[in-house]
Amino acid sequence: MLSRVADSVFWMARYMERTNGMLRILRTNYISSQDEVPDFNWETLLHNYSDAGAEEIKAIGNQSVKVLEHLLLDRHNGSSVINNISRARENGRAVQDHITKEVWQCLNDYYHLIRDPQIAFQVSSGDPVTALDSLIHQGMLYHGTVDITMARGEGFNYLNTGKFLERAILSSDMLMIKLTELDFNLQQPVELPSLRYLLYSLSGYELYLKTHRGNLQADFVIQQILYNEHFPHSVAYCLNQLFRYFERLEADSLPENYRQLEFLIGRAMNNVKYSSINTADGAGLKHFLQQIRQELFGIAAAFSRYYFGNS
Amino acid sequence: MEATNLLSRYGTDMRVWDEMFGSEGIRPAYRSLVEAIQNLSAAEMTHKDELAKKLFMSQGITFTVYSSGEGIEKIFPFDIIPRILEAAEWKHIEEGIRQRLKALNIFLKDIYHQQFIIRDGIVPAKLIYSCPNFVRQMVNVPVPFDIYTHISGIDLIRDADGSYYVLEDNLRTPSGVSYMLENRSITYRIFPDLLPRNKVRSVKDYPDLLLKNLVALASRQKSDPTVVLLTPGMFNSAYFEHSTLARMMGIELVEGSDLVVDNHKVYMKTTSGLRQVDVIYRRVDDDFLDPLVFRPDSILGVPGLYGAYRTGHVAIVNAMGNGVADDKAVYSFVPAMIRYYLNEEPILKNVPTYPLEQPDNRKMVFEKMDRMVIKKTNESGGYGMLIGSAATEKQMEEFKVAVEEDPRSYIAQPIISLSSAPCYINGVLQPRRVDLRPFALYGPDGIDIVPGGLTRVALKEGSLVVNSSQGGGSKDTWVLE
Repeated sequence: MLSRVADSVFWMARYMERTNGMLRILRTNYISSQDEVPDFNWETLLHNYSDAGAEEIKAIGNQSVKVLEHLLLDRHNGSSVINNISRARENGRAVQDHITKEVWQCLNDYYHLIRDPQIAFQVSSGDPVTALDSLIHQGMLYHGTVDITMARGEGFNYLNTGKFLERAILSSDMLMIKLTELDFNLQQPVELPSLRYLLYSLSGYELYLKTHRGNLQADFVIQQILYNEHFPHSVAYCLNQLFRYFERLEADSLPENYRQLEFLIGRAMNNVKYSSINTADGAGLKHFLQQIRQELFGIAAAFSRYYFGNS
Repeated sequence: MEATNLLSRYGTDMRVWDEMFGSEGIRPAYRSLVEAIQNLSAAEMTHKDELAKKLFMSQGITFTVYSSGEGIEKIFPFDIIPRILEAAEWKHIEEGIRQRLKALNIFLKDIYHQQFIIRDGIVPAKLIYSCPNFVRQMVNVPVPFDIYTHISGIDLIRDADGSYYVLEDNLRTPSGVSYMLENRSITYRIFPDLLPRNKVRSVKDYPDLLLKNLVALASRQKSDPTVVLLTPGMFNSAYFEHSTLARMMGIELVEGSDLVVDNHKVYMKTTSGLRQVDVIYRRVDDDFLDPLVFRPDSILGVPGLYGAYRTGHVAIVNAMGNGVADDKAVYSFVPAMIRYYLNEEPILKNVPTYPLEQPDNRKMVFEKMDRMVIKKTNESGGYGMLIGSAATEKQMEEFKVAVEEDPRSYIAQPIISLSSAPCYINGVLQPRRVDLRPFALYGPDGIDIVPGGLTRVALKEGSLVVNSSQGGGSKDTWVLE
């Protein structure tokens, strides 16, 4: 496979995963801003998913509709959902001969959907959840289409490595955002509703209820997001899947390049697996999350260098 | 309820050949179609029209126009009423194109080798050597199987008496074939059952035939040579076509930066290292192919590609240097070429063409400029031309000055009226002017022409310019069994 093509497929998958993650976090955050959480503030999220300046962020920080417009539909915000979908589509367009026609059409429909004036109307003057739901559905359609139409070849493997790498980054980021909002102060006697919303954003609330009874506890939540190997959004699960799809690339790789990546992914997996968390030690937890994040970015950079020919 | 008959308001011009209506009423080829659609209500027809647009949009059969920052998605306008050709008509066209391509191909071989045609005084040497598309680097370069024109898209038009004329041969990198294929796939969605009922011949063999020819050109003795399609990139207006063809043939779609040349061999950069490329179907113009030999500022090509081609390590389709046979002044010699090389009479007519290099021609053309089309010899796509009947005095004067300055670069032709075909526009069936571009594939086993082609339509009333860059659209083209 051409290096450029592999690069585009990888990034197409990353942008789609990021889109999906952002839509879910926006949906749950919006709902919690309307219900339950008093004086809901979007600032931490904005710092992560917007390239606006601190003042601008402060100005819109507690206006949910403005935030949604900015993070979903603002073309001037480099990290907005509409820009992510456009980039996924541009990448898809550049590799149309390597993805199936169905996948391409699905991406194309996604692009037309988010540009539909009806979406902008729902966000600004209607029910934003309706808009978010229809976008999330289109994303599910994309994942299903990939699953049932793409051949299990090199392209599919790059698609999945990109997807799981991005998901690991997203999960650790979301955890980081929520814990930052709580100022890493996790030893509170009352249940923290924002942790429930964190689980909602990662589709992990039901699993949590099945695993643990009673009140939400911060350490159980964090453990699920980091270590639970049956939870598809946990960092451990994502790294396992990343390694699984990466291994399949061995036959089509140069041995020295393969070894480089194998080392980095393996190290990240082990660093997560053989770690433990202590909710009393906020600073230590923060440091650990930062370290995971750095390792994940290191893997992305190594793909770019050893597999996509970017130096 | 309004008058349901679609045809009741269809008015044809007696001076123009209409594809559907003749002196005896509806022509036989169209009868079955007319029967099927004439009683459809306006709402049903409009629904079909909208469905077609939606299908084009959702399948991403679009090109992007970058005007104000964000790209605008445009679809190539499509008219839902097919253009229909009878079997006998098609046979005539097919034979004519075969003959023409044979002659043009021999001409290219001859002009880049011994130049018998110049020595025998059929074509003046000056005409060839003054042509900017005569590529000196191709002189004495052997090409596989002596084939230069692997893919061509011959533009045909029809005069008032119904006879076909060749307007251009398009031997370089003709585009539009993906629209021939996509238009067909839209037609069966909007008119269920009509294709089989009319016994319309299929066009879907095109990618297979093309791939077969490409594979045959590989010089290495390999069962699975590497064939790639070289595109200028996704900002090219024909990018949709490049990716569609690559996908339909299952070959790699590459950009110039994906290829490197080492020791006169071409390689593509893959995730598992370099892989040698045997055949390149390029959709990049000659000038941009190799910055070491042609335009040094080109980033679309591959440095060293010409050397690899010359040494026979890679086959390039179409061959370099075909532009000399596409030159509109050289075009006027094609009938002479057919007689000279094949000893046959041309089956398809040429439009009478007056090279304006000759003072007599200039004088004659300037006197009746309102009845002439003046074209630049090396432009296409409807650029650099003046249609006398639609031009203002000022435009004519400007063209006169330009012609006097550089007469070699201009030719004149009488205005051919172009036939009209029914189009469904704004809820009414109305005649619009059309041309026809069948696509011919020239391989080691001979010439294949897929039964069909791209019918381009001038959507503006009275307009004679069908080019997509000038507001033209297209139609599905049916060839009946």
